[in-house]
Amino acid sequence: MIEFTNVSKTYPGGVKAIDDVSLTIEHGEFVVLLGPSGCGKTTLLRMVNQLEDITEGSIAVEGKNIHDLNKIDMRREIGYVIQSNGLFPNMTIEENVMVVPNLLGWSKEKRAERFDYLMDLIGMPPENYRGSFPHELSGGQQQRIGVARALAADPPVMLMDEPFGALDPIIRSRIQEEFMDIQKKLKKTILFVSHDIDEAIKLADKIVLLKDGEIQQFDRPAELLNRPVNDFVSEFVGEDSVLKSLNLYQVKDLQATLDLPAVEGSPDGKVFHPHDSLRHVLAHLLHPSRQYVYVEGEDGTTNGPVSVEHIEAFVREITA
Amino acid sequence: MNTKAFIAWVVKITFWVLIAAFFWWTISNNLFSQLLENPDQFLGLLGRHLQIVLISSSMALATAIPAGILLTRPKFRKYEWIVVNTANLGQTIPSLAILALAMGFFGIGIQAAIFALYVYSLLPILQNTIAGLKSVDPAAKDAATGMGMTPAQILFKIELPMAASSMIAGIRTAIVLNIGTTALAYLIGGGGLGVWIFTGIQLFDNTYLISGAVPVTLLAITADQFFRFLQLFLVPKGIRKAQKAAAAAA
Repeated sequence: MIEFTNVSKTYPGGVKAIDDVSLTIEHGEFVVLLGPSGCGKTTLLRMVNQLEDITEGSIAVEGKNIHDLNKIDMRREIGYVIQSNGLFPNMTIEENVMVVPNLLGWSKEKRAERFDYLMDLIGMPPENYRGSFPHELSGGQQQRIGVARALAADPPVMLMDEPFGALDPIIRSRIQEEFMDIQKKLKKTILFVSHDIDEAIKLADKIVLLKDGEIQQFDRPAELLNRPVNDFVSEFVGEDSVLKSLNLYQVKDLQATLDLPAVEGSPDGKVFHPHDSLRHVLAHLLHPSRQYVYVEGEDGTTNGPVSVEHIEAFVREITA
Repeated sequence: MNTKAFIAWVVKITFWVLIAAFFWWTISNNLFSQLLENPDQFLGLLGRHLQIVLISSSMALATAIPAGILLTRPKFRKYEWIVVNTANLGQTIPSLAILALAMGFFGIGIQAAIFALYVYSLLPILQNTIAGLKSVDPAAKDAATGMGMTPAQILFKIELPMAASSMIAGIRTAIVLNIGTTALAYLIGGGGLGVWIFTGIQLFDNTYLISGAVPVTLLAITADQFFRFLQLFLVPKGIRKAQKAAAAAA
């Protein structure tokens, strides 16, 4: 858990980088700090592990005010991943991943065991990479190692500063998915900086949208997209916000709002799974040759028909 | 074989042929006679030469490396230009002039020679220490700090290993220059192998010249090779491999 209480940062000269931010990130929550460049998102993140000073207010990690903790010790208990990976070229992959366990004085056996576990977790065979050096790896592999290194001592809290920002779009999206799978297993409390709204929507439980060091909106992704609280937020989420938000809703969410009859015999359209995204369904229905689709019910029945009008009604509801 | 490698090979062969020719000439004319007939005197001069080199360069190492480390710390970074410019001055003044100035201060003898050579060796070590430490990826340092390494751990585990290659190159340059320049120590009464070299020049006697100059040259070459060898041990394997890969890609 991370709690920001009335946190401000003023640079000498009076420029306010962070302006009275209060924010609570619950245990196991994945929160993305989002905003245009210069909005203070990286500064806010770096305040948590005391790489940046706080002018006013306080931050507590796992219930303890960071001001009262030893900087060095508290950093070892927080995972830290940065965009340009920051791997150490003079160390092997194993040495890189095991930096924090080494600092904590883990035994050699425990370290080797942990290395194997982490490499399996990120999908890189440990025996192939143990003695390799960072420069021998691709950008995507280096970033995976960066993630494994941050996870090494099993910290409850992770700080991630645009960790996938430097990767090409295909690799980035694959690593995002891999990371979501890892997060599902490990349930870390994550604070993640991004300037990319699509990345934020994809990964976040909640998004903090920042502008000039102030929180504009702190909400679930669907809420941010469909119920922006001010002009800045609606402009930032873009004109396609409704379409983006349909990614976040599944067929079963639509079903819950409708009372669809079961279909007798074979349906005259495609049948969607309850976990398919509504954007998928809409994209399918937009083709002029298709009028209806059907959806699979909880009990295995095929229900329907569903038309574009149903989705429109659903959108009216979520944006109301 | 590409053109570059071919040229390098031709240069190498030519170099060794010239060396062989030179030694054939010296030996067939009995030009090492001084060395062979007065081995005790030779060992004395060599010992003095090495003494000047070792003391002055150890002092330079002990000053320039800590200074380079200090000047790359955030607190002292603002003083870097003053110190580097001062050290630059030491390097700009001709070596003979430094010797003369040192003699004015310390009088005739080995102290003056040691001091002059110390000043003369500072800059290459200082400059390369600073350059090496500055070339360390800021992201690596940021990651190290964020993961909870202490400043000392960052210096010894991250910065110095990554700067080692540049630092050793600086030390090598300084010491090789130092060995050659120590030959001038004779001029201010410092002794060393310069004694035979300058006697040879004054008497126009090749036996003195060769018996003094060849050992100095061999000493410089040996030192150069020694530091290249040392690089293999002190520069971490990962850095060496990365440098090789970068060179191959260029």
